[in-house]
Amino acid sequence: MANRTGTAQRPNGQTQGKICQFKLVLLGESAVGKSSLVLRFVKGQFHEYQESTIGAAFLTQTVCLDDTTVKFEIWDTAGQERYHSLAPMYYRGAQAAIVVYDITNQDTFGRAKTWVKELQRQASPNIVIALAGNKQDLANKRMVEFEEAHAYADEHGLLFMETSAKTAMNVNDIFLAIAKKLPKNEQAGAPGGGGQGRRLVDGDTGPKAAGNCCK
Amino acid sequence: MDEEYDAIVLGTGLKECILSGMLSVSGKKVLHVDRNKYYGGESASICPLEELFSKFGAPPPDESYGRGRDWNVDLIPKFLMANGLLVKLLIHTGVTRYLEFKSVEGSYVYKGGKISKVPVDQKEALASDLMGMFEKRRFRNFLIYVQDFSDADPKTWKDFDPNTQNMQALYDKFGLEKSTQDFTGHALALYRNDDYLNDPAVNTIKRIKLYSDSLARYGKSPYLYPMYGLGELPQGFARLSAIYGGTYMLDKPIDEIVIGEGGKVAGVRSGTEVAKCKQVYCDPSYVPDRVRKSGQVIRCICLLDHPIANTKDALSTQIIIPQKQVGRNSDIYVSLVSYTHQVAAKGWFIAMVSTTVETENPENEIKPGLDLLGSIRQKFVSISDYYVPTDNGLDSQIFISESFDATTHFETTCLDVLDIFKRGTGEEFDFSKIKHELGDEE
Repeated sequence: MANRTGTAQRPNGQTQGKICQFKLVLLGESAVGKSSLVLRFVKGQFHEYQESTIGAAFLTQTVCLDDTTVKFEIWDTAGQERYHSLAPMYYRGAQAAIVVYDITNQDTFGRAKTWVKELQRQASPNIVIALAGNKQDLANKRMVEFEEAHAYADEHGLLFMETSAKTAMNVNDIFLAIAKKLPKNEQAGAPGGGGQGRRLVDGDTGPKAAGNCCK
Repeated sequence: MDEEYDAIVLGTGLKECILSGMLSVSGKKVLHVDRNKYYGGESASICPLEELFSKFGAPPPDESYGRGRDWNVDLIPKFLMANGLLVKLLIHTGVTRYLEFKSVEGSYVYKGGKISKVPVDQKEALASDLMGMFEKRRFRNFLIYVQDFSDADPKTWKDFDPNTQNMQALYDKFGLEKSTQDFTGHALALYRNDDYLNDPAVNTIKRIKLYSDSLARYGKSPYLYPMYGLGELPQGFARLSAIYGGTYMLDKPIDEIVIGEGGKVAGVRSGTEVAKCKQVYCDPSYVPDRVRKSGQVIRCICLLDHPIANTKDALSTQIIIPQKQVGRNSDIYVSLVSYTHQVAAKGWFIAMVSTTVETENPENEIKPGLDLLGSIRQKFVSISDYYVPTDNGLDSQIFISESFDATTHFETTCLDVLDIFKRGTGEEFDFSKIKHELGDEE
């Protein structure tokens, strides 16, 4: 996924600043709330009994910074993490990742550390990684201390927040923090980023410029 | 694993992944298993390069090959026809959004020891060095006829019945020379041998149209190739299946396909676990007792540090050596991709020479293809058996795909998939079942 950037045109022809597009992947054990975080961020919704991910694994949402619009292309695992069957394609070209664990479940924090290692092995070297301790609304059942996770995140250069998809706490904030940290220049996509190919669309005719980058 | 499924799919080759996606989209509960740790089976792209060298028992690559992780080497060479069935499947299923493609830069045909660009329109026909002056005009008239031809409008048939008269008769009608027939049938219509000459002309006309319509889509050549290699294709369809609820398990050995009453499949056993199911879909390697060997394909992977001569330094290309040019019964294919497709380290090219095996010495058969490549830094030869199912699945409910054939594109792959789907479900695949609001893709 190239770091596609363009300049938005308003109807009256005025330019609006640049738009940068980034691929963001979610990782974490089953049932820690990956899909719920995305659903909260993209649609402002929360379902107490969110089904295992079905039928929504490619969502986009934009975040506005000063003069830049950051568009996230968000990839959910579609359940393929369950038996450790995520395809290399999932990591390919990802410029940001949110690794999610459940603060009421110590095992999911251990697994989160494994996912961070996996990202460092499989993804592009300059990927921006955020660690999200989800289900903060259940803090009375907390099993993972804030300080412990915070120290781990610091040590590994990760962004860190405790979030709640249920109450919306820190959900927009964590995406915003990632948006701020992402490089918004021409080199941002390379080397692990965009392959400089083209996407196929219906009724596509004639060659088009492939994968524009930030100007 | 101990659950009951509508269908269990074994193997994550491209055909199985497309089927798995189509079944999940159709509302079936699918379990998709592979004995390997990776997606793609035979249609995987091997990464890193060290893995490829060790697979073929070669000593590890030296430093000149760059970073091993920059390589994704296909085991089976194929391109997508830009207007072909696989592109239609990719677009209709939305899988295209996970992938990026590049056009293949050139398409060449071999004649009399050298290669020439395949002429596809009137302008190229007149400039081509494949034909003499008068022959060029006859070929141009033939191309115009094909271009204007409409299946539904007999007026465009011009006193020729394409449904009853054969292709040889159509060539003769335009007075085309044997060598022109050769590149038309093999490099434009992409037939592997000359059997088509006796078939109704309409089939060949349609294939030439597919070639020229594909070419019209992106220019340069009718072929597309995915960034990071063909192994991305099965992964994309697997993701589609997962999004629609399919369960994925890699690295899971399959010990037995459990048969129940009346010879009908009842489940699949791995160790002590048994997953029950109504149907199994699989590649031939999971059911050796229900397939037969019908031939062999030789494929030779060649790593080059230069492009192929006389292709204008194309970074990707296809060269077809028509059978008759080298005294064979089936064509030899050469395909080339490079670092621009993120399948090789900077400055490197991957050529693949392949054909259907006809003799006891298959390596000698591909020599005319290897000779076109110039110096080869590393060569890996594989000879694979081509299997076809002996069980059509209607009683056993075990539906088996054919091995990948020697064709250069995915048209036969898709026809096999659509046929299996129809046998398995009793209906044609309904593209309208795919929700287009799978997220807010613009």
